[in-house]
Amino acid sequence: MSSKSYKSLSDDIWKNRVDKINSEVFTLTYGSIVAQLCRDFTYAEVNTQLEKMGYNIGLRLVEEFFAKTGLGRCTSFKDTSEVISKIGFKMFLNITPTVTNWSGDGKQFSLILDDNPLTDFVELPEDNNAANELWYSNVLCGVLRGCLEMVQLDCDVYFVSDVLRGDPITEMRLKLNKFLKDEVPAGEE
Amino acid sequence: MIMIYSLYILNRAGGLIYQKDFNKGLKKITTNDYLILSGILHGVHAIASNISPPSAIPSTIYNNPSFTNTNKSGLKSIETDFFKMFIFQSLTGIKFVLITSNNPISKEPENINTSNPDSFSSSDISINRNINETESILRKIYALYSDYVMKNPFYSLEMPIRCDLFDLKLTDLIKSFSQP
Amino acid sequence: MSYYLAVIGTMDNPIYELEFGTFKQQNNGKSLLNQKQLELIPFIINSSLDLIEDLQWKFNKNYFKNYDNFNNNFYKLSCYLTFGNMKLILLHQLDDNLKNDDNIKQFLFEINELYVKTMLNPFYNVNEKIKSEAFDLKVKAVARKYL
Repeated sequence: MSSKSYKSLSDDIWKNRVDKINSEVFTLTYGSIVAQLCRDFTYAEVNTQLEKMGYNIGLRLVEEFFAKTGLGRCTSFKDTSEVISKIGFKMFLNITPTVTNWSGDGKQFSLILDDNPLTDFVELPEDNNAANELWYSNVLCGVLRGCLEMVQLDCDVYFVSDVLRGDPITEMRLKLNKFLKDEVPAGEE
Repeated sequence: MIMIYSLYILNRAGGLIYQKDFNKGLKKITTNDYLILSGILHGVHAIASNISPPSAIPSTIYNNPSFTNTNKSGLKSIETDFFKMFIFQSLTGIKFVLITSNNPISKEPENINTSNPDSFSSSDISINRNINETESILRKIYALYSDYVMKNPFYSLEMPIRCDLFDLKLTDLIKSFSQP
Repeated sequence: MSYYLAVIGTMDNPIYELEFGTFKQQNNGKSLLNQKQLELIPFIINSSLDLIEDLQWKFNKNYFKNYDNFNNNFYKLSCYLTFGNMKLILLHQLDDNLKNDDNIKQFLFEINELYVKTMLNPFYNVNEKIKSEAFDLKVKAVARKYL
């Protein structure tokens, strides 16, 4: 499927088939989760916990994604990146991050998020080097890792830079480790 | 009008995670038998994918933008005098096995058993048509599965489905389908 | 003309304080209060808190213009009472007869907006001191715009 048809498919799904929630409720809920975690754990542990939470969300969210879009298997990792950014993010967060920085072997790429609904109105606390250790939106990394694992792609997803930390852009990096051939469901060639 | 007799949901390892009969006239078999039945289906499906000759595997299945059935080379359907069985598989390896009645309102003769084994095309067309009819049911079942099972935080993946809401919604869906 | 903005919490604790002068008429925004006057101001504001609390139950409004003065109108105080019982108090000292009551009202409304945005930050707890530099900069920008 071409890039343009992905865009029209995702616009159609976002308009008609997705239930919507008030963005402030969403932002405040996620913010209170992170704030509470920061009170309970150190920043490094908070990152791991957020990633784990995201992983569990991703395992389940992927079925919803297929139920709503009816898409089939992507033909290449490039195709996967297009689907993630144009349909996945659009469907669930109504943002379309840009795909850039492809590595030479085509197994790594970056997603640049222009605006992140999770971080509306958020400022990291200035004490305790939150700015050096905490990745606020780390749940997104977990979600992507979980979803990709359910379609037999073993990936590492991590943040490279974050506007909340003072960097100019918010950038996530996806690295494909391997294609899990043994777990492909029988019946697919 | 197709009547849906029962639905089986199998996890990636082939274990039965959900089974429901929608027709009261069906004879009950023990839970163990259900598990054995689903295990056999999983195995046969996998074996069929290895046996199928490459020419029989369609390169693209009816590209319906609603549900992509990844069951390209495995066991797809079984037809008998009494029932039809269809096997659908999602990209994540979950199999939905739907057992339906033989379609009584059909213009073509449905004596598949006695048909000429050389006439692949006609029975193939009717099988495809029946799959298309069950396609719409399946799309809705998959949507219900992704909503009421996946989004239940207390449901662990690959485990037997014990979600009341899923049962309820499924029964409602099947009821609405059986009523003309 | 000099101003002193104080945000007072529900337990009469100061959350944010800023002194500045007028930006109009080419003044550079430096306050003209000397050391002795500066020391007195927190006391003045604190003593006026009772007045606000009386007024809030008498009248059904949340912006109080010139509700108190000190030393025969040398200092005047205006207050915006937020719906969470936070008091945004502006103390203004008139050096000349500039009429800018409207400006004060709009200024306090904008400060309220900034305060609401601070509340939306999940890392900020109610009644906590506002330490964010971004907030400070924004307040100064609003002051430049209105006062």
